[in-house]
Amino acid sequence: MLGHPSSDPPRRGFFKQLAVASAALPVGVSLVAPGTASAASASPAAAAQVAAPDAVLGYQSFSATEAAFVEALVNVMCPADRFTPNGVDCGLALFIDRQLAGGFGQGARRDLRGPFAAAKPQFGLQLPLTPEQHFKAGVAAVNALLASRQQQPLDQLNPAEIDRLLHEITSTPRVVDEIDLQVWFNELVYPLFTQACFSDPLYGGNAGKVFWKLLGYPGLPATNALNVVQFRNKPFPGSQTPMSIVDFS
Amino acid sequence: MKKLAKKTVVIVGGGLSAGLVARQLTARGVEVLVLERGGDRTQGPEARLPSQRDELRWDVNQGLIQDWSRETYTARHNSSEQAVPVRWMEAFLPGEGIGGAGNHWNGHTWRWAEYEPRLRSHYLERYGRQAIPESMPLQDWGVSYAEMEPYHELFEQLFGLSGKAGNLKGQRQPGGNPFEAPRRTEYPQKPLEITEAGVLFKATCEALGHHPFPIPAANSSGSYTNPDGQKLGPCQYCGHCERFICEASAKGSPELLLYPVLRQRKSFELRSHAHVLGIDYDARSKRARGVRYLDLRTGQVHEQPADVVVLAAFTMSNTRLLLNSRIGRPYDPATRRGVVGKNFCYQANASIDLFRKDHWFNPYFASGCTTTAIDDFNNDNFDHRGLGFLGGGLIGASQSGGRPIKTRRVPPGTPAWGTAWKQANADWYNHAMTLTILGSCYPDHDNYLSLDPVHTDVFGQPLVRMTFDFRANEQRMLAYVGARMKAIAEAIGGDAIGPLNANIAPFDTRNYQSTHITGGTVMGADPLTSVVSPHLQHWDAANLFVVGASVYDHNSSYNPTGPLAALSLRLGDDLLRYVARPGWL
Repeated sequence: MLGHPSSDPPRRGFFKQLAVASAALPVGVSLVAPGTASAASASPAAAAQVAAPDAVLGYQSFSATEAAFVEALVNVMCPADRFTPNGVDCGLALFIDRQLAGGFGQGARRDLRGPFAAAKPQFGLQLPLTPEQHFKAGVAAVNALLASRQQQPLDQLNPAEIDRLLHEITSTPRVVDEIDLQVWFNELVYPLFTQACFSDPLYGGNAGKVFWKLLGYPGLPATNALNVVQFRNKPFPGSQTPMSIVDFS
Repeated sequence: MKKLAKKTVVIVGGGLSAGLVARQLTARGVEVLVLERGGDRTQGPEARLPSQRDELRWDVNQGLIQDWSRETYTARHNSSEQAVPVRWMEAFLPGEGIGGAGNHWNGHTWRWAEYEPRLRSHYLERYGRQAIPESMPLQDWGVSYAEMEPYHELFEQLFGLSGKAGNLKGQRQPGGNPFEAPRRTEYPQKPLEITEAGVLFKATCEALGHHPFPIPAANSSGSYTNPDGQKLGPCQYCGHCERFICEASAKGSPELLLYPVLRQRKSFELRSHAHVLGIDYDARSKRARGVRYLDLRTGQVHEQPADVVVLAAFTMSNTRLLLNSRIGRPYDPATRRGVVGKNFCYQANASIDLFRKDHWFNPYFASGCTTTAIDDFNNDNFDHRGLGFLGGGLIGASQSGGRPIKTRRVPPGTPAWGTAWKQANADWYNHAMTLTILGSCYPDHDNYLSLDPVHTDVFGQPLVRMTFDFRANEQRMLAYVGARMKAIAEAIGGDAIGPLNANIAPFDTRNYQSTHITGGTVMGADPLTSVVSPHLQHWDAANLFVVGASVYDHNSSYNPTGPLAALSLRLGDDLLRYVARPGWL
């Protein structure tokens, strides 16, 4: 079920994969229905009589093309291996979709007012695009770059080809259709990728806390007044069984 | 515009400074109104478990920070460039809401070196008339450490500081910082617990002949009741201090220790969601009539008359309010005349990561101040003859949290994704520590604040434009202190030692460095080179006062909270005198 992406068909149905990601979450915890767990904990008997809300498993922001791109991307950046399932099964594509559809992607609390002028990179992006628009423009630009080389869209490439392409993008300045791909990847895509891996599972990524287990990060509640002394220079047993916001909700 | 009933003292900004000024005034029944643009966060998801422990929401996405879509800053590296708006600021993090940035700080609380309020005189006395470069407008503050000392002591008691004195009335104290300014009393609470990184650092520094000590912390090492009866609980070392509100009531914070007391006092009033647009200034009589503010809940603008106006907002906002209200002469780098906006300083920082498989550092066991440090290469604690720079840096083994999105240390050469990347994260997350430098930053003639000629905030007022870069002095300082830190790192040793990561020129708004920006409304004894007097009274309006790190003539390596708090308490006492008998203090 959690096979390496190279063994998968090039474009798997993402609804099927989302079901897998959802299944990786603790029983009774829905990706997008935070009320479910608390209702169940309040009264298990009552909860049994109430039909659980349908888990909402579609993408909110991505088109089918964009979904295929991001799924292929996260499965290369996070292959199934001895540490975690593949990126899609870890919820990474779902996380990125939700972030782009939500406040972050819509530019919440970010200055997006003109006039705009080119500036040194140290002053940050100077684009009239929301992060969602920027993300999607970059996806289209990468596929346009591939098309200009008579190559298939990114999701049709094999993992080794995608990995090489990503290294090329991160190391070589190149502007395609007005999108600086190096900046796009390093300042937008890569931060979203690491957030998807390491944020609280509340947001759909880090399914099953796999990345916290990989690190040995104990999560919540982090009341460590005694631990800081008792486990100074010793492995902390709590880091083997991390707890998330979801577990306390 | 509605004209409201006059108040005796109106304070702009509801953070730490305002709370301390108001504490002194309302204790004697003086009427005080505080205007704060944000709301009360004490009952929100940011202040309660489990939602408080949300790195994505509060840290990465800046849930407690100024709304950049409403007001940001424009920036450029020197006055020959065109500034652009910083559309998402990472370098420093102004707060919003009651308590201000004091609710999401780490808690480092220093008394600065005894010589710092007279730093210009000190350097000239020690190194001669040529000691200070022509490009560096260092100046004395017009206040002495001795005048501030009782207020430092009061603040430390109010905020329940944890620490170890190194200098009690001139007597060196073992375990404390020997370079510390003289104290009359020990810290109110014992130091925080030391981390494993601190243990290694301490042993190595002692072997090298340096003087390690636990840094003074506004994170409570025990249960504590302050002189106002407010209580702190023991720190839980949860690793969520800076960028977070402490849900355990263990971090000294204005909304926890000051505002609950103030709200009980009859002469105190706080209006939240009140965004101050400007100071009404009568240039002929040289008096502030009051302030205008926008009620962010209704959109209505109100005129608030006052006998006394105190600006106690963030560094950038204090300067902006004066510039937008046309009070005082704006600084001009071409002529080096004018005062408002001058001596804008930041902090020059660096770090080195160390990797040791044989030690468990458990980075998540942390408070904002679990740092063991040395002051041997800080400020003017070492001889600068022949070095070509002034100032220095605090070197420490700092551990302030293991929040996994942003605090994962991997050895140099680790790939950015894939199985090898995961392997490195798994191998080193609990086996890495970091040494840091918090470095001083001295003024430069071309580092200053002014109004942007193009960009406005969402209400139509010009944004502050920061012209800033780390100049040669700070670059040389970090190279020197960085080499000292590298020597300590190599003496500690490890499976791998990372490079010296220096936040140095060109200044980069995309990297968090510290929220310790200073200057713009500097204090001093000379009206030609300062905005406010040594008593923080505006030279062009006797009933207008400015307080905060904006009055600092330079920035130390230490964070600005200690002197800021001492100056605020002293201002409160000064205003008692002023209200009783208005005039020049």
